[in-house]
Amino acid sequence: MAARRERLRLDLTTPTLLGLPVAWLVVFFIVPIAIVAAYSFDVYSLFPGKHGFTLAAWREFVHSSIYLKLFWKSVKMSLTVSAIIVVLAYPLAYYLALSGTKRKYVLLLVLIAPFLTSYLLRVLAWKVILGDQGVINTFLFWTGLRSPGHPISQLLYSRFAVMLVLGYVWLPFVALPIFVSLESLDRGLLEAASDLGASRLQAFRRVTLPLSLPGIMAAFLFVFIPTLGEFVTPSLVGGANGYMYGNQIVDLFGTGFPDWETGSVLAIFLFGVVTVLTVVFTRFLQPRRVATD
Amino acid sequence: MPEERDVLERRLSRQDLLKLAAATGSAGLVAGPAGLARAANAHLAAESGRLQVLDWAGYGNDGGGSMFAQYVKTHPKNKPQFTYMGNEADALAKIHAGLKPDLFRPYVGWVKYFATSGLVQPWDPALISNLKHLNPYMVKAGQYQGKQYGIPDDWGFDAILYRSDKVKPKAKSWSLLFDERYKGKIAWYDDITMIQAAGLYLGFKNTWNQTDDQLKQTQKLLISKKHLVRKIWSSETDLWQLFGSGDVWIAYAWPNDWVQMKKKGLKVVYMRPKEKPIAWVGMFMLLKGTSRPNLAHAYVDAWSSAKSAKWLEDNYGYGHANTLARPSSSDLLRALQLTNLRAVTEPNAYMDRDIPRRALYAKTWEQVKAS
Repeated sequence: MAARRERLRLDLTTPTLLGLPVAWLVVFFIVPIAIVAAYSFDVYSLFPGKHGFTLAAWREFVHSSIYLKLFWKSVKMSLTVSAIIVVLAYPLAYYLALSGTKRKYVLLLVLIAPFLTSYLLRVLAWKVILGDQGVINTFLFWTGLRSPGHPISQLLYSRFAVMLVLGYVWLPFVALPIFVSLESLDRGLLEAASDLGASRLQAFRRVTLPLSLPGIMAAFLFVFIPTLGEFVTPSLVGGANGYMYGNQIVDLFGTGFPDWETGSVLAIFLFGVVTVLTVVFTRFLQPRRVATD
Repeated sequence: MPEERDVLERRLSRQDLLKLAAATGSAGLVAGPAGLARAANAHLAAESGRLQVLDWAGYGNDGGGSMFAQYVKTHPKNKPQFTYMGNEADALAKIHAGLKPDLFRPYVGWVKYFATSGLVQPWDPALISNLKHLNPYMVKAGQYQGKQYGIPDDWGFDAILYRSDKVKPKAKSWSLLFDERYKGKIAWYDDITMIQAAGLYLGFKNTWNQTDDQLKQTQKLLISKKHLVRKIWSSETDLWQLFGSGDVWIAYAWPNDWVQMKKKGLKVVYMRPKEKPIAWVGMFMLLKGTSRPNLAHAYVDAWSSAKSAKWLEDNYGYGHANTLARPSSSDLLRALQLTNLRAVTEPNAYMDRDIPRRALYAKTWEQVKAS
């Protein structure tokens, strides 16, 4: 009797505990995405009247080189940013986690200190630095490396500016997951490697790096996914040249004449690509497999 | 106005009449039909709740209060409550999504679109005492099939602003926006009027209704010249920053931008292209089925007064349809040609107008940005 009650309690525990998060996920994630998908097939429409299922917007999307080209441009930008900052953040996280410094948490706090100010403010500050009359160009004029009439105008309102600012903004996000994975590294493994005659470089390559790979992957995705759909930064510092896929989605929904159908197609496509990438990364890059290879 | 009568009829249902009879008591009944009508008017005049206004940022309690101060004074219990629209498309989306404003403010190019959409109803000119002072060409642009769907208010030109110390235009023309000599120093405006402007440059007869072939040519021109553009601006403060910091020397701009840049001490010229500038005019529109038509009329009347108009010109740098108003700045007076009623219309300028294929224009423009 007591055993049965115990089992009943167990049976109820899981749904009770999971109920709220699942309901949350369904109501605020799955349903909205389904609604956007419905807009992309014109099942739902902003304009009242008769609407039926159509693939017209999808067909146009696939056949229009403009949208796919823009998407590819954004993928390239995001990949570049993510890869560069993972490479930059790794030594930083490595130092914080493994150097044995007592002040590592203080240093970590310093690293994330810029997050105490507004995102917008930090992005706008870059305008002051990168503009034609900005800090960098003024310095170049002063040193005589550039003549005052010829500033480096590629610094602002360009792809470079977008990538620089995105890199700056996301660097701490990248450092944190790597830090955590290095922090939890079993030091005994490094000692064992050393006992077995591995050089420090070999130990790093064969032990530390593979074991921190989940952190690197997580860090990479942490940056790649949000920056792929980014629209605030490019609209502030991107100019005509730094326009990204996310900007087009926003503009299709909001400017000119509302085209929610095409906007939804673009949004769902982005969502699909990101989902596939996430699944691929998490499935095929399991740390243990790499470690044993 | 038949629509006005519709509202009256709809609102004065049998139940209302019974309520009115009870309210006015025997006096009303004794007074006969005339008394009842008066009571009905009084009942209608007592529209309840706050007036719901859908307007652009800066035109509500966020700084635009002087424009409707008179209204607030006379209707303290029905102070306007604002929802902001990013643009007409955004307003359209909000209304379709269920927002129920009493009035909103699209620009002149949308008058026909909304008038035929079934979303709005005409105004009753008799209830707007200041209407007689408004520029007749703008008032006419607010009409559709003889009915006053739009009440004109703020206005300005789309033309070109440039730094005269840096730029030497080959001609007074829209071509300056596509001049290869100034690569990286040009700003376009993020709106489909860029398509109209490009069409004017290409010499199309009706740039508001380009053929498929013409639209293709326009798109090709814009895409091929986009590499010259530093930034496609969407807010005036953006533009001022671009100009002020020297990042941009040439821009698609409004008269006020010239005044502001001049104030900053920059050597700037506001050029009227030989293909003619485009004039834009804000238009108050009354939503169909609003429960506060009288309040909405009173609000628009307050906006239309000479006092409000002068305030707008002095503080926001746009023109105002009220022809009695004169700004303190003689520069602005000159840029807007306020002494000439015909400034906004041919042969001086093209008044912005309906675009029959607006969705296609919008897509064409979005593709320019995306390419």
